[in-house]
Amino acid sequence: MIVYILKRLASIALTFTVVSVIVFLMMHAVPGGPFDGNDMPVSDEVKAKLNASLGLDRPLYVQYFKYMWGVLHFDFGVPFQSPGETVLELLGRAWPPSLILGGAGVLIGAPLGILLGMAAALRRNTWVDYLASAFATLGLTIPVFVTSMLLILVFAVWLDWLPASGWGKPYSWVLPIVAYATIPLATYARYTRSAMLDVLNKPFVTVLRAKGLSERRIIFQHVLRNAALPMVTVFLPMFIGTATGSIFVEAMFRVPGLGAYFVSSINLRDYALEMALILMITMMFCVSYLISDILYALLNPRIRTGGRRG
Amino acid sequence: MRLLDVVNLTVSFVQHEGVVQAVRGMTLHLDAGESLGIVGESGSGKSVTCMAALRLLREPPAKIAADRLDLGGVDVLAARGRDLAALRGRVAAMIFQDPMTAFDPSFTIGHQIVETIQAHRATAKAQARAEAEALLRRVEIKNAGGVLDAYPHQLSGGMLQRAMIAMALSCQPQVLFADEPTTALDVTIQAQILQLIKELQAEMGMGLIMVTHDLGVVAETVDRVLVMYGGRAMEQGPVQKIFDAPLHPYTQALLASIPGRVAGRQRLVEIAGASPNPANPPKGCPFHPRCAVAEARCGVEAPAFQTVTAGRDAACWRLQ
Ligand SMILES: Nc1ncnc2c1ncn2[C@@H]1O[C@H](COP(=O)(O)OP(=O)(O)O)[C@@H](O)[C@H]1O
Ligand SMILES: [Mg+2]
Repeated sequence: MIVYILKRLASIALTFTVVSVIVFLMMHAVPGGPFDGNDMPVSDEVKAKLNASLGLDRPLYVQYFKYMWGVLHFDFGVPFQSPGETVLELLGRAWPPSLILGGAGVLIGAPLGILLGMAAALRRNTWVDYLASAFATLGLTIPVFVTSMLLILVFAVWLDWLPASGWGKPYSWVLPIVAYATIPLATYARYTRSAMLDVLNKPFVTVLRAKGLSERRIIFQHVLRNAALPMVTVFLPMFIGTATGSIFVEAMFRVPGLGAYFVSSINLRDYALEMALILMITMMFCVSYLISDILYALLNPRIRTGGRRG
Repeated sequence: MRLLDVVNLTVSFVQHEGVVQAVRGMTLHLDAGESLGIVGESGSGKSVTCMAALRLLREPPAKIAADRLDLGGVDVLAARGRDLAALRGRVAAMIFQDPMTAFDPSFTIGHQIVETIQAHRATAKAQARAEAEALLRRVEIKNAGGVLDAYPHQLSGGMLQRAMIAMALSCQPQVLFADEPTTALDVTIQAQILQLIKELQAEMGMGLIMVTHDLGVVAETVDRVLVMYGGRAMEQGPVQKIFDAPLHPYTQALLASIPGRVAGRQRLVEIAGASPNPANPPKGCPFHPRCAVAEARCGVEAPAFQTVTAGRDAACWRLQ
């Protein structure tokens, strides 16, 4: 197990390096630089000076190593679009709203989705199942900005219960969180349903019934345990993936989160911020896959015991 | 005492494409301590009959009806959740064809036997574990302690089938349904498992229903045999009598199609023609399209399954 984890950590380091090189090259392959904007024209001379002061005139590999050397020391540089702070300071300011939005959305949506999926699987081919499936399909096919608009229309405009936008007092968080929660709710409902049905159709479930176990014990001890296995591998990465919030929901509700910076850092050739955001996401996914693989191994006796038939 | 009493059982599966009539008027019975073999080609409705007796089929799509379906004196069709759970494992236990998929892969063998014991009797865990270990030793597993803590994937098919038998017998059932318990096993192990089941049946005085498509198995393990075809009982009676003088043309064809059957261990060889399609069964006797001695009325109305001589029943117009 220790060896396995060490191997995985090594592969994470490799992934991280490869991603950083590719992103760095792609970023600089896109034509244009940070000072090519039209709203603030600068003379070529000044542009060259600015580029030189930021090291943008050096060969790419020098820039890359310089940047990565900084990253290893938690120095992600300064965002061009907001030179008064460091990239880390900007993340520290803009990430919390996204984290709250994404985290609360998943914490609310995922358990509800799991319950909905379970109900659908246990009552398969009844109105419960059809209703749950219809709900999940709607949740996945209606774009989240349409859901957001509906919520704003009903709860902010007609009923006037909640603010239509902004990120002030916690009650202003309600609508964006609800809008965002529909995504994990729908996804988890669908996934839970199919994972449960998969197990319910296994021959061993018939054997459990034939032994005279109560239906409750069969579902809660045996079926859920086995359905959890494929679920952990998908759920944790999804869970962590949401820590960056939703660009669309943030835009609809004017949440001052990270979402806007994903777009602006690309448009404005804000290399330092772009790199930092992508590296951060890469790292979170790598770690979440690692954790879910460890969980999977712990839940699965086939891997845990390492044994073979004999 | 009559342990199992089934009269005119029909089981159909309602599907999008239509209705599959898996069992069409089965009649069978089993007395305490008796052993009955159910033989028939694959698809004749043997498994569905057994599953229906324990109400193990999902309803819907399955639809079960019967004039009588009593197990251990309880009307199975009228029983609901809790009553059914009390019957299963305790009054009647079942072992299945494929031991490799019969255990929950996430729990040890010990856990799964212990939970069976605890489902039916208030037993302390340590006590149940000790009983489980004794059961595993009884089914001739040498390393009983080790198998108790093993996960299913760590054991061979033969070992798992032994463990399955131990689990089925853990609550001293009055009837054991064995649905082709050796079909998925190595030939060398098949005889051992059959011998074990036979021994345990005698020892515990329980009733046995041995489902098989292997006439050799029937000859070796049971007192009485019931021949199924197209979801119906064709003939039933004492093994020796049926082997010596089969009454029904299907049984006759079945026995004739086995070269050197006295040597035993021969699989059924297909009789000319196709077995009936349960989605569209023939009118009348299901065997008439393949029957060498069929008459006009055989294709019109199905003959009743009725007594021909004492202890022997058959469904054939020529015998009525
Ligand atoms: N769950 C099911 N849904 C639809 N048809 C089924 C189902 N189970 C069994 N059948 C059909 O019922 C018939 C009898 O099956 P079965 O009892 O398993 O035969 P066997 O005698 O080989 O055990 C077969 O034609 C089979 O296809
Ligand atoms: Mg079968």
